[in-house]
Amino acid sequence: MGGATTDLVVEFGAAVQSLGALQAAAYRLIGSATCQIDQVADHFVCRLTPVNNPNKKSSHDSEALRIHFLDLVTDENLRERIAARTDGVRNVILALAFGSLASAQNDRP
Amino acid sequence: MELLPLRFERAGKSYLVSNMVGDFVRLSGDELNRLVDLRVRPGDGLYEKAYAAHLITGEGQTAQRQLLALRLRSRMAYLREPTPLHIFVVTLRCEHSCPYCQVSRQSTDRSKFDMSEETARHALNIAFESPSKRIKIEFQGGEPLLNFPMIKNIVAAARTQAGTVGKAVDFVIASNLALLDDTVLAFCKSNGVLLSTSLDGPADLHNKNRPRPGGNSHELATRGIRRAQEVLGPEQIGALMTTTEASLDRVEEIVDEYLRLDLDGIFLRPLSPYGFAVKTKAIRKYNSKGWLEFYARGLRYVLEINRTGRHFPEFYATLILKRMFADRPLGYVDLRSPAGIGLGALVYNYDGKVFASDEGRMLAEMGDQTFELGSVAQSYRSLVFSDKLLDLIGSSLTQCAPECLDCVYEAHCGADPVYHHATQADPVGMKPLSEFCARQKGVTNLLLEILETSPQDAAILRRWGGM
Amino acid sequence: MGRHVTLPLYGTAIFSRGVSTATASSVVRLRSGLDSPATSAADFKLVRSKEELQAVADSHHGVMIVSDEGLEDLPQAADCARLISVPAKFDYFSDGDIIGFQPQSGRFRTLYRRASAHNSLLVTDRCNHYCLMCSQPPKDIDDRWLLEEIKAALPLVAKDTKSLCFTGGETLTDWREFVDVLADCRDELPDTAIHVLSNGRAFVRDEVVAAWTALRHPNLTAGIPIYSAVDHVHDYVVQARGAFDETVLGILKLKDRAQRVEVRVVLHALTAPRIVETCTWLARNLPFVDHVALMGLENIGFAIANANELWIDPIDYRLGLAEAVDVLASARVNVSVYNLQRCVLDRSVWPYAVQSISDWKNGYVEECDHCIEKTRCSGFFTSGRPRRSRGISPILAL
Repeated sequence: MGGATTDLVVEFGAAVQSLGALQAAAYRLIGSATCQIDQVADHFVCRLTPVNNPNKKSSHDSEALRIHFLDLVTDENLRERIAARTDGVRNVILALAFGSLASAQNDRP
Repeated sequence: MELLPLRFERAGKSYLVSNMVGDFVRLSGDELNRLVDLRVRPGDGLYEKAYAAHLITGEGQTAQRQLLALRLRSRMAYLREPTPLHIFVVTLRCEHSCPYCQVSRQSTDRSKFDMSEETARHALNIAFESPSKRIKIEFQGGEPLLNFPMIKNIVAAARTQAGTVGKAVDFVIASNLALLDDTVLAFCKSNGVLLSTSLDGPADLHNKNRPRPGGNSHELATRGIRRAQEVLGPEQIGALMTTTEASLDRVEEIVDEYLRLDLDGIFLRPLSPYGFAVKTKAIRKYNSKGWLEFYARGLRYVLEINRTGRHFPEFYATLILKRMFADRPLGYVDLRSPAGIGLGALVYNYDGKVFASDEGRMLAEMGDQTFELGSVAQSYRSLVFSDKLLDLIGSSLTQCAPECLDCVYEAHCGADPVYHHATQADPVGMKPLSEFCARQKGVTNLLLEILETSPQDAAILRRWGGM
Repeated sequence: MGRHVTLPLYGTAIFSRGVSTATASSVVRLRSGLDSPATSAADFKLVRSKEELQAVADSHHGVMIVSDEGLEDLPQAADCARLISVPAKFDYFSDGDIIGFQPQSGRFRTLYRRASAHNSLLVTDRCNHYCLMCSQPPKDIDDRWLLEEIKAALPLVAKDTKSLCFTGGETLTDWREFVDVLADCRDELPDTAIHVLSNGRAFVRDEVVAAWTALRHPNLTAGIPIYSAVDHVHDYVVQARGAFDETVLGILKLKDRAQRVEVRVVLHALTAPRIVETCTWLARNLPFVDHVALMGLENIGFAIANANELWIDPIDYRLGLAEAVDVLASARVNVSVYNLQRCVLDRSVWPYAVQSISDWKNGYVEECDHCIEKTRCSGFFTSGRPRRSRGISPILAL
C-alpha cells in the first residue's frame, strides 16, 4: 500500500536522533496511529497514520498528531539521557538489593 | 552530585516523576530538565524535593543507595514464600446461570463434575510442598457447597497435615450462600473457615446478573451474609462484586447495599474478559473509560462515607495505596511482577488438572491450555518450576516489557499474563492496547489527584494504605 | 502546685571530710531514716537536723548533712569519719539518691534520684557535632572519669528502676568503655530499660554495631536524631558535613541486627516548617524504627545563642505537625510528641502528646491554673530561658 499522500510525515536527522527513541515513541502510539519508520540517506522518515478515520483527516487532527508524536519522541530522548546517566548506579542498587542472593546461589554445592 | 534512576510521564502541563521504588513527585518540564542535567543547588527548592524523593544523591554518599536497595528487596520479599494460595475446585456443578460466569454451566445432577478423594489428597500434598509458611486453601466451584462433604474432608486432612509439617493454614469458601445452612455454619465456626460471597448490588441488579431457578439469588445471598455475621462474626464473611453494564450507572446503590449489610468495605472490580463474558460479548459492552468513570464516582462516594467517620475502604484503591505507601509484601497475588501465576496461586481442578490461576482454568474450559501446568500426580516443584510457567512469567515481566520498563507507575502495577493472553494472544500484551493498563493508570492517577487536592480525603487514603 | 524552678543538680559542698581522694570522684548513696538499711560502704546517712545528726553520729557510715545551720560544726558531728555538708537548697535529696562527689574541689552532682522517672546520666561532654540548639554544649576535655563514676554508681541504683537514660556529648565517643558500662547495666539492672542518646554515626562501624549487639541487652534503645529528609538541612542543624548520610547508615546497620532505634526530631525554625516532608520520608524509608519522637525545643545552651535562627512559635507549625503525626500514625509507626503544651497542639495530636519533661525542670504557668487539660499536659521547661508560645491559654471546655 505504501504511503498515501494524506499521511503525516515527520523527519529527523539521524545524526541527532536515535532510532531506538523513535521506535519507543511509535510503540506508545499503537492503537491511535501507526508509525512506519524508514531511513533515507541521513534522515529517519516517520509516516504516521491515525487508526481511526485514516482517510478522513482534518489538518487540525494532523497537527495534533504531529505535536503528540514530537512530544513522545522528546520524552523518549529524555529517557535515553536519563538511562545513560543512571544505568550504572541502578545496577549498583540492584546488586545491593539482590546480589547476596546470587552469592548464596554460588555457595550452594 | 549524582542522578538516581527515575521515570516520568507527561501529565498535562507537569510531569509525574517516580524513583526506583515508586515514590512520586510532580515537576515542571523545566525542573525535570534541570534535574537531569544536575543544574540544582542546595537551597533552590528543587534540590530538596529531589533529594527527599531519592532522585539525586550527594557525592560519596551511600545511605540512599542502601535505602533503595533495602526497599526494593522488601517489595520483592513475597518471592521468598511462593504460592501461599491454593484453590480447590471441588465441583463444577452450580445451580445459578450467571452470564459472566467463568466456568461451564453444569446440571446439579451427577458427581461426574466433583473432585475425587484421591485428587484432593494429591492436591493437598502439593499445597503443603509450597515453601510458604502460611497457606490459604480456597474452595471454589461451580458452587462448592454442592460438594460440602469433600470440603469437610479436605479441611480435616489439611489441619492434620499442617500440624505435621509445621505450617499454618487458613480456609475460605467462595460461595453464593444459597446452600448455607446451620450445619455448614457450625462447621465453619469450629474450623475457623472464612466465607466469601458475591454481592453485585441491590436485588434487581444482583438477580439480573445471577439468574437462578426461583430468581432469588440476592435474597439468599443477603440472608446468608446475615447468618454468617451472626454465627461466625462480621470479620469472617466478605463479599465481592462483579461489574456488568447494568452496574455502571448505579455505583452508589451498590455501595449502599454493602453498607446496609454492614460489610467492611467494597472492591469495585472490573469485568474480566474470560469465560461467558467473552462468549456472550458482555465484555464489549463497556471499555476502560466507561469503567473508570464508574470507578471514580464510586470511590468519591465511598470517600464521602468515610468522611462521616465510618471506616469503609475501597479495596482496589487500598491495594494500590499499600504499594505506594509501604514496601510490605501483600497477600494479593494478581498485581505482581513477576506475575502471581503459579508463584502466587495454584488451582487444583475437580478433574485433577492443575492450573496457574483461576482465570487460566477458565480459559482451559474454552479450549485454551496455555495456563495448564500439569496434574496433581506431579510434585510442586515440577509444576511451578516448569519451563512452561517460567517462560510465561519471564516473558511478561513489567521490569522488562516495552513501555512498562519505563513506566512511572510500574512499581505499583503488575504483569497479568493471563489477561493479556486472553485479550491479545500474548502474555506481555501491547500495553497501549491493554485495558488492564488503562485501568491501572486511571486508578493510580485518580488516587494521586485526590492525595494532592484534598487533605481530608488524603488522610483517609493514607489510613487505608496503612491497614 | 509543683515546683516552678529548676531543681539544682550541681553544687559545691560547704564542708567535707574523710572522703577518699584515690579517685577523682566518689559516689555516695543517700540513706534516710533509722530503718533504712545502709548496706554499702558508699551509703551515707541523710541528715537535716541536729536530732537526726544525734541519731546517726555513732554509726560507721558516712553522713550527708543538708542544712544551712552549720550542723557540721556541732560536737555530734565530730565522730563522723566521713562527712559532707551541703546547703539547704538541696533539700530534695532523699533515700536512694546517688551523688557524685569530688573531694578535691567539693563539687558534686546529683547522678540519680530514686523517686524520679527521668534519670539521665552524662557520659561525656565531648561531641563530634555542634548542634545549633545543643542543650549541653560540647567541651573538648578528658572527662573519662565520668564513665568511671557511672560504673561506680550503677551497683547502687535501685534494682526496680524502670528506666535510665545516657546522654552527652556524644555517648559513643569512647565506645568501648561505654559498651562496658552498658554491660554493667545489663548485669546490675536487668529490669531497667536503657535509653542511649547518640548521633548514631558510630554505628557505621561494624565493630561498634557488633559490640552493641553482643551485649544482648534485654531492653536497650538508641535514640538518634534525624532533622530532615534532606542531607544539607540535617548537616547544617548539627553543624557537621556528611552527618546525615552516616546517621542514616548507622540506623540501617542497627536495625539490620534487630537493635532498637528511636528517631528524634527537635522542632525549631529549621526543622518544623519541613516536618511533613521529614515525617513522610521517615514513614516511607524508616518505618521499621521502634519509635519516632517529635520534640518541642528546650531554650537552653546554644539554643539561646542561636534564638534568631531557631525560634518559631509552635502555634505556627501546629497544622504541619498534625499532618506529620497523621502520616506516621497511618503508616503504623509509633510516634509521640514531647515537650509541647496541649493548648498549642492540634487536638488530633493529643493522643500522641506525652508528659516528657524531666520532673526536675518541669513547671506550669499562671494560665494553667484553670486549664482542664493541665494534669495531662507536658507543661513547660523551667530550664534555660523559657520562651512561651503566644497561644498559651487555658482549655476551659472540650
